[in-house]
Amino acid sequence: MRELTFTDAAREGLAEEMARDDMIFVVGEGIGARGGNFNTTVGLYDLYGEKRLRDTPISERGFTGLCTGAAVLGARPVIDFMFLDFELDALGEIINQMSRLRWMSNGQVKVPIVLRGGVGLASTGPHHSANLFSIFMHLPGLHVVTPVFPADAKGLLKTSIRTDDPVIFLEHKKLMKLKGPVPDGEHLVPFGQASVVRQGKDLTIVGISFTVIEALNAANLLEKEGISAEVIDPRTLAPLDLATILESVSKTHRLLVVDEDFSPCGAGAEIAAQVMEQGFYELDAPVRRLNGAFVPGPYSPPLEAAVIPSAQSIAKAAQALMVE
Amino acid sequence: MLIKNDTDLVLTKEQAVKLLRTMLLIRYCEEQVVKSYARGDIPGGVHMYIGEEAVATGVCAHLRDDDAVFSTHRGHGHAIAKGMKPEKIIAEVMGKATGCSGGRGGSMHLFDPSVGFYGTSGIVGPSILLASGAGYAAQLAKNDRVGVAFFGDGGSNNGAFHEGLNMAGAWQLPVIFVCENNMYATEVPFSYASKSPSIAGRAQGYGFPGVEVDGNNVLAVYQAAGEAVSRARSGNGPTLIECHTYRTRAHSEGMRDTGYRTQAEVEAWKARDPIKWYKATLMADGTATQEEIDALEAAIQKTAEEAANFARQSPMPDPTTVTNYLFS
Amino acid sequence: MAFEITLPRLGWDMVEGSLADWLKKDGEFVKAGELLFTVEGDKAIQEIEALDSGYLKTLPDGPQKGEKVPVGTLLGYLVPEEELAEFHFPGPALEPVPVQAVAQPAGLPLETPAPVPVDGHKKRVYISPYARRLAQGLGVDWQGIHGSGKGGRIMALDVEQAALMKQKTTVPVAVPMPSPSVSTISAIQPTAAQAAQYAAERHAITPLRKKIAEHMAYSAHTSAPVTLTTEVDATELVALRKALKEDSAITGQPAPSYNDLLAKLSCLALLEHPLINARIEGEEVVQMGTVNIAVAVDTERGLIVPVLKDVQTKTLRQLARESAVLIERTRSGSITYEELQGATFTITNLGMFEIDAFTPIIDLPQCAILGVGRIAPKQVVVDVETEKVAIRQCMMLSLTFDHRLVDGAQAARFLQRVKRFIERPYLWMAG
Repeated sequence: MRELTFTDAAREGLAEEMARDDMIFVVGEGIGARGGNFNTTVGLYDLYGEKRLRDTPISERGFTGLCTGAAVLGARPVIDFMFLDFELDALGEIINQMSRLRWMSNGQVKVPIVLRGGVGLASTGPHHSANLFSIFMHLPGLHVVTPVFPADAKGLLKTSIRTDDPVIFLEHKKLMKLKGPVPDGEHLVPFGQASVVRQGKDLTIVGISFTVIEALNAANLLEKEGISAEVIDPRTLAPLDLATILESVSKTHRLLVVDEDFSPCGAGAEIAAQVMEQGFYELDAPVRRLNGAFVPGPYSPPLEAAVIPSAQSIAKAAQALMVE
Repeated sequence: MLIKNDTDLVLTKEQAVKLLRTMLLIRYCEEQVVKSYARGDIPGGVHMYIGEEAVATGVCAHLRDDDAVFSTHRGHGHAIAKGMKPEKIIAEVMGKATGCSGGRGGSMHLFDPSVGFYGTSGIVGPSILLASGAGYAAQLAKNDRVGVAFFGDGGSNNGAFHEGLNMAGAWQLPVIFVCENNMYATEVPFSYASKSPSIAGRAQGYGFPGVEVDGNNVLAVYQAAGEAVSRARSGNGPTLIECHTYRTRAHSEGMRDTGYRTQAEVEAWKARDPIKWYKATLMADGTATQEEIDALEAAIQKTAEEAANFARQSPMPDPTTVTNYLFS
Repeated sequence: MAFEITLPRLGWDMVEGSLADWLKKDGEFVKAGELLFTVEGDKAIQEIEALDSGYLKTLPDGPQKGEKVPVGTLLGYLVPEEELAEFHFPGPALEPVPVQAVAQPAGLPLETPAPVPVDGHKKRVYISPYARRLAQGLGVDWQGIHGSGKGGRIMALDVEQAALMKQKTTVPVAVPMPSPSVSTISAIQPTAAQAAQYAAERHAITPLRKKIAEHMAYSAHTSAPVTLTTEVDATELVALRKALKEDSAITGQPAPSYNDLLAKLSCLALLEHPLINARIEGEEVVQMGTVNIAVAVDTERGLIVPVLKDVQTKTLRQLARESAVLIERTRSGSITYEELQGATFTITNLGMFEIDAFTPIIDLPQCAILGVGRIAPKQVVVDVETEKVAIRQCMMLSLTFDHRLVDGAQAARFLQRVKRFIERPYLWMAG
């Protein structure tokens, strides 16, 4: 067991996979010799060269379409968009081609491709702060992966690369330097398996991406008030491990979903609807959602702080939920 | 027997006749689709390739089953030329379970990886990117497969054209970009959509050759495509081939064909029908006789009719299968 | 082959149109590609070319000009020269089926719901789904609970507290039906006062009754109950009971009752037929590892069923002692929750009410229940050949089993074994 940052753990996973399979290649702006603007590919260019660590022109739609074609013909591309915001130029390729080719061809072709993008607000402003989890959850044919802890970053990236279907791999900017234990040896984390990161009995808090960390901080605050919060990290949003959430709710009977992305129609809305549908008789109060404000991501720190969920605002929402 | 024309192209009789065979198969199958559409056998839209047969034929004659073709919304011709079975195409267009995509896609979602056909498409542009990607995969795997993208004059103005050709040139990808310039994007004339009349000329901006050919002369297309495929296979990068051609039917079946072009223009191009011209050429230099051609036509007509009958008699898809194949 | 000319589809959502005009005359030769007729579709009049060559034969009884017909309707034929001589219009059977119209969405009339009359007097009580479920399980009537949630909503906490309060107070005995105060029935018309006496009386269902009601109904519509009956010669059992009674007078130990004897011998039979001692849980069949027999006891408050645990390990005397205690505690209301749990089989005896056979209800999730009738002397045939009859003590057994889990023959074999054990109790000595 070692302590690694999220970035280093993910990169370790990528390196291991690239060593296993010659057809895995990475594309993106600056991921070649530079090693990635967020250090996602440091050291790999020297090992594998330009064909497998391909610096691209600023053609997000172009190289997404190109990688889709390459995947169809047997390669396993990993696209490193840096920011999810940039990935949006490629939505047409992602939705119309990538997510559909397998289904449209009646199973004759497959698209093993991973799209990595940084999400979330971190003094990054309106063009570099997108979250948009629910948009991808909504599309048939895509997996959506949101690791929080370094061990999961590595394990889920490896699983994503080995999956034969398109994966939207979203990494919150504030998690990049987060340190955590990473197991030695082969470490794969399956999709559709949530993780109960803190046990509790009074209410369940489901966080998404960075808000899992804030929820844990909130849980510490709540402990002092005598409220015991159970915190769940879904780890993948599609497929979603509803069973773990339902099991928790059957114990605590109260659910709060915390999502930095805005509502309406955030991931929390879907989780709330599913829990309401399948766990109605366990609920002692309505399912509550705490979302980022319904505005684009602002730049100045006090504005950002006002927009995103914090440990304090989560604790406050939890307390309100307890007396409902 | 050999064919010689002014470009010094040399073909065996078998190769020469095969070109005619492919064009006839496309033409007769498309006519079956037209008739089926008129009878109400086709639930959705279809875009006919009639008049453009020489392009698909001339290009695909150089391709192997493991080369990848990415096509357009007007792609039945590409599919047939690449080797797809006509009955699977017509059945798909009729939405039947025996269609190549199980009825899920119809005319614009024909797939058959076994012959290297990776899809007609309802979106204009992506074929350029996907074919470039196929070329990239070939480079990674270190084999000599090529990718081929078909697109129209309309597609040449899409962002995918710029991004795709730029990357293909920069990375010297084994791709052939085939632009079928039939002068109209749906009903918008190319001259209206672009100041520069030459699409082939744009290749220079991306650092690789662009050639312009008469798309209704199957031998000219055959020659240009042969050179382009050779270049790509030997690692010398992409080529853009602009084929001037014409569709003699409306943009899609059932749509009006008047108002944006004159009947005179249509007639003029019908007079330059690629199949008519090629038959005359084969007979003129003695490569084939009238009897041989008549026999070939009869045989292919029969194939086309049988394919249409097969499709008509095939069952509709089972609704319970609709959620299959979403994930591996 | 003559080519069928049909009304074409112009535009993907066109379902009908009309023939505007023929551009060629009937009988005229038409070349493929020539304009043949015009069609009026949704948007405009369009010229249609011939898709084949031949002599035009318009359908004599075909659609009239301007008549709206479905897409695909036959209009005529283009007949090749070689077929012209023999050509004739086919019978109606050959008319092509008109293309299926694009499905129109069913126009459901938008009904505005009738306004619900607001009852101004009764204020609605809100309770969370979990709290309501909890209340049901704890046997708490939540209608009267004070809710501490938002807007007075009842929460789980409130229900739990109410249940706790209830436990501390004595268990309310079922309110007995008040006996009619007037016993004589007057022949004359009853006065208003007298009429009031015959009015129905209402009392809230007690929690216990409610629980029993729900459980019985659940069993009735979940299990697949089948009842087998058999008449048993209980003479030997009667003799055994008598002997044990006499013996207990000597030893001072409690004498095993008929229920104790039946419990023991049923247990032996269950060990030989374990499926009767199993249950269905979800997708699994669970084979119980021990035999716990519930014996139904009638009390003022209703039917209560204390459980004899691990019967296979107990002697008759132990069972006699235990059951005596259980029955006493049941009648006095001091039976505990534990003592009512865990039964794998039930025996219910209505013999004391002179009942013979009946159809007891299975206490789910158990597989079966044994109903025991009265023991009464009867004349039975002991030897058919010699036509010998004798007076024997006879008893009816009624076994209701769950056919989801067990088949008729299996249950019958079990019941037959029980019968054998009753008829020849000394077989128990074999073990």
